[in-house]
Amino acid sequence: MTEVALATPPAGTPSAAGPASLGTPVMANEGVFLIHGLGGTQYDMGSMHKRLKNAGFVTHSLTLPGHGTQPEDLAGVTAEDWIAAVIAKYREVRDLHPRLHLMGMCMGSLLAAVLAQREQHNKGNLVLLAPPIFIDGWATPWYRVLRPMMYLVPGIGRTMKIEEEDPYGIKNEQLRAIVKAKFERGENFHYRWVPLECIRQVDRLRAKVMKAACDIRCPTLVVHAREDELTSLASANFLVEQIGGARARMVVLEDSYHMVCVDNDREIVAKSVLEFFGAALPGATSALANEPKMSRSDLEAAVTAALSRLAGGDFAGLRELAIPDLTWVQPGTNRVSGAHTGKKFVAFAGRISEGNAPRFIAPGNPVFNRGVALVPATLVATREGANLQSQGALLFAFHGGKLLEGRWFADDVESEDAFFGAPDVESSGTARLEEAFENAAAISKTLKATPDNDTLLALYSLYKQAGSGDVTGERPGVMDMINRAKFDAWDKRKGTSRSDAMKIYAELVAQLKNGEDGNK
Amino acid sequence: MRQVIVIFLVAAAYIGLAGLSAALAYSSLDAWSVWLASGLTLGLLLARPRTSWPAILGGAFAGAAIFATLIGSAPDALGYGAIEVVTAFTGAWIVARMTSLPIRLERPRELAALVFGGALPQALLGALVAAVWNVAAAGGAGTATFRFWALSNLIGTLLVAPLVLAWAQFRAKRSGGLAMPAFVGGGIACALFLVSVYLLFRAGPQHQLGGNVGRGLIYVPIVFMAVLALLWGLRGATLAAAAAALIALCYTKLGSGPFAGIQGYLGDPELEVQAYAAAVALTGILVAVLAASQRLAMRIARDWKTRFEAAIGAHRLVAYEWDPASGRMVVTGDTAQLLGVASTQIAMLADWLTLPVAEDRERVAARFEQRALSASVQDTLAFQIRGPGGPALAVTDEARAIFDHDGALHRIVGIVRVAPAGNAR
Repeated sequence: MTEVALATPPAGTPSAAGPASLGTPVMANEGVFLIHGLGGTQYDMGSMHKRLKNAGFVTHSLTLPGHGTQPEDLAGVTAEDWIAAVIAKYREVRDLHPRLHLMGMCMGSLLAAVLAQREQHNKGNLVLLAPPIFIDGWATPWYRVLRPMMYLVPGIGRTMKIEEEDPYGIKNEQLRAIVKAKFERGENFHYRWVPLECIRQVDRLRAKVMKAACDIRCPTLVVHAREDELTSLASANFLVEQIGGARARMVVLEDSYHMVCVDNDREIVAKSVLEFFGAALPGATSALANEPKMSRSDLEAAVTAALSRLAGGDFAGLRELAIPDLTWVQPGTNRVSGAHTGKKFVAFAGRISEGNAPRFIAPGNPVFNRGVALVPATLVATREGANLQSQGALLFAFHGGKLLEGRWFADDVESEDAFFGAPDVESSGTARLEEAFENAAAISKTLKATPDNDTLLALYSLYKQAGSGDVTGERPGVMDMINRAKFDAWDKRKGTSRSDAMKIYAELVAQLKNGEDGNK
Repeated sequence: MRQVIVIFLVAAAYIGLAGLSAALAYSSLDAWSVWLASGLTLGLLLARPRTSWPAILGGAFAGAAIFATLIGSAPDALGYGAIEVVTAFTGAWIVARMTSLPIRLERPRELAALVFGGALPQALLGALVAAVWNVAAAGGAGTATFRFWALSNLIGTLLVAPLVLAWAQFRAKRSGGLAMPAFVGGGIACALFLVSVYLLFRAGPQHQLGGNVGRGLIYVPIVFMAVLALLWGLRGATLAAAAAALIALCYTKLGSGPFAGIQGYLGDPELEVQAYAAAVALTGILVAVLAASQRLAMRIARDWKTRFEAAIGAHRLVAYEWDPASGRMVVTGDTAQLLGVASTQIAMLADWLTLPVAEDRERVAARFEQRALSASVQDTLAFQIRGPGGPALAVTDEARAIFDHDGALHRIVGIVRVAPAGNAR
């Protein structure tokens, strides 16, 4: 547990642990170093961070020089600067893990390839997502061939803007609309343009990879979309040929454009990457639970902690012990039954905890089988004057100190169905409230004027309270003023029920929106 | 400082285009076949925000005045500058009344505004002032001045203003611009277009393609122009049209080409070649604008579809339209995700009836039959389907009838709400 806690620095921030040379202990978990693309952020990687964490990996990332601020800051940054940054980060985290995998997206994949070659990386695998060895995709404009001549014109490299444009690397039209809206709102997830000079640096990087590819020694997976609008499949073929078929594998995606981690085939990408890393999807029946990487005492402590929360009816509290995509399976065909994963678990925890929350009491002795624990228990609940006492067993699956999945096996499912009531096809009160809450969240992003700080903090705290329950984690330091204020605002909502938080949030957003409409 | 730079650049470009126009002038007639500089001023006014107008007009005024001085009309320099500013401003003002600025030339309405609100009034107003001035100050021929001024301005504006408007929108893109295959196709069409114009105009009419055959083949470049406008869009079309016009005007001035030495129905060769250049340019621009308007319509439709599908998808809804007469069914929504079947696989009611679980299937079929027979205005039906994940899903089908003008049943349309997994009864 200690090792895992140590091994989960927030993505995108420097590792909490110092350099390995200072004697930092090696973590039990494998690590993955993710590198984003040109003009991008970790948003380029979609949900890969979360997927990898769910599968027990520790993720490391960095913001490349010139990124994360404004496009003008890219001017003057060279390929060597990017390479130096990834090498420095690599050396910082390399010895923290028994195995460290490298993974890059677009230009990040070029950097990952150069890194693997220069450091003769053999401590893990290499994943190259949509590597742009050739800029020859079907949507690249004709004047791409003129860029070597443009580089010769003094001053133009810094001043000429190369803009992002439809289709934004995304085939899925719904997702594309979302990305387009993010660009229009000016969200800082990806630069709207990059200077021509940066394209030159990418060209230089491409040349380096073309030379270095044959010298990559680690197992490599190249993931490329057949319809990639920026770089054709020739890029992936080139890399596989150069690295060698014995070491390199290729996955061709049939329903995506360039941004493979967020487009239609993102599930295939995640699955391919996890399989390539020798991992599997989390769950009670997964390979992860078969290899929990926890001692017996750690497992017993984890079960005790989970039972303690369930004895108090604190379903939401389970999230503190679990991976982000915790799954809870409730049997039967009633209003709380089903498999609830990730965000759906949050909604489920809120729904089941309304009123007199069901509790699991009188636990028997747990039986362990690798990372899985089976605990006899009794589910007790009170609802509309009726009482429920249902015998059964709880199943928990753990990996790396985190709860992967919880299941309740009831001896008498029918009595639970009768107690909780049949699910309504029409929206229940809670579902209506959730709908109103989600609508309000969407509307809040359309407000023309940014609310004042107090209102913003109120919106944030209510949103977090409704979505995640009471505040968790450590209060940020005094230097981190913004996050500290957000933490404090959320902390003030402690104890507010989920439904109340959703209701107040929706009312506040409606008030703001009405205020804007009234001012027209 | 920025304003000064704009004034300087506009004046320099103005003088350059004016010089080119002068090179194409018929010295024997003391007349201009084309006045390209006027198109520059109007094009910039329509392409740039109003805050840039003073600098643009200042540059045009300076350019016109300097050029007049350079060709020996120093006493009239301020007058030429004033005419340029007033006519261009008037044209831009009328266009702004007809459509919103800046113009993108993506709609026929914008092209009409440019031609009839911008180019034509600018040319006519300038010609009127120049003719009156010529008669009053020098006792010259007012009619001839009016004609040459109006036509040369109109042709120049039609050639240059769309060019400026098209290229003002140019932005280098990482992806999404004119792709290489279209560029190559358009390049071939452009080469054929320019070569055909060159061949038509390079030789005297008596030597060319067997006497008057050349005159009979002047339509050929227009075909290539249409193809290139489709492939290259407005930027390519305006560029090629300007190049072709220069070739045609230049050779005609030199006494070559199908119009040289022939008294056509318009009277003079220079008039005929002006009309020809305008026709070629307008054809290209029109085709490009129509293609752009079609792309715009498709973009709007796609955005609408995306919004609609996002809305019904978020509510776990599927919409259908059923024609009781033919049994055909059209289903909209993310059926693959919600029902486990692609919408393309549901073409008939029979396909739809494969979705309910076995115990509900007969009931659903009977209800559809009843809907067709009774033509009741509305009907709600709840049943279960075998969902994509395996377990049954509860769905509610809210149907409405659509009647024709005579009250006869036309279609049954419905919204199907799919409950989340685990909520089956």
